[in-house]
Amino acid sequence: MLDEGIDNYAASKRFTPAEKIALRYSELMSVNPDAVDAAFFDELRKYYGDDEIVELGAFIGFNLGYHTFFGTLKFYPLFSPDGRLVSQAESTKLYGRCRKRPSPIPSSRR
Amino acid sequence: MPDDLFPRILARAPEQAVPLMRALIMSHGQGNVDHRLKEIIRILLARFANDKYFASLRSAKARAMGLTEQCIDDGCSFYEDDAKGFSAAEKCALRYADLMFLDANQLDKAFYDEMKKYWTEAQIMELGAFIAFHYGMQMFMRSLGAVPGPGHSDGG
Repeated sequence: MLDEGIDNYAASKRFTPAEKIALRYSELMSVNPDAVDAAFFDELRKYYGDDEIVELGAFIGFNLGYHTFFGTLKFYPLFSPDGRLVSQAESTKLYGRCRKRPSPIPSSRR
Repeated sequence: MPDDLFPRILARAPEQAVPLMRALIMSHGQGNVDHRLKEIIRILLARFANDKYFASLRSAKARAMGLTEQCIDDGCSFYEDDAKGFSAAEKCALRYADLMFLDANQLDKAFYDEMKKYWTEAQIMELGAFIAFHYGMQMFMRSLGAVPGPGHSDGG
């Protein structure tokens, strides 16, 4: 479900319209912030209250900033997926190849 | 301290508002990196993020320390120009902020090795966390299309 939420949320049947628009908010904030306009917020308000929109927006902004910073530091989790404590060298092999994902947003709308 | 618009927006989500405001204020106003340099970095990032709200605010503390609009403009756009008077350490910190969201791939081991010539690891973490946090909040405010209200353009 995690992979589907990242790679294919727009077409997936596993996510509700509310979840899809939250994922879209996250995606647009990073790749096309100009698309987060009044019409987008009107759509977002069909599913979320102002408190939830602020919570989502601040959460997305926070993660957008910190993941970029952390990415430059090239550090990886202390534990392997099966729970072993691993060195940074081993962890780099396990997690270091961050795969690129296709964007669910059509290029014409980015 | 920003004007009251940002806290009022955050207050819609009270549980988020308190830690976020605390982090915003502490990361800017405290630490071991010159506050004036941080203020230039904050504005550089806001301009890059195209966030009119945070780009319009100014730190009264930095202004009292002698930071001028000319110095802010020079720091945002011409910091590599030796004639503008920025030290090698300041240039490196401004480059760090510039590259973080322009081309983070350039912030590699060689860049951090260069940075360590001028800054301690604690200062580098302070700068990195400051840059990440403020840019994130600026992107959030940009998404809202927020601008400071009249009479509220002078944060401290």
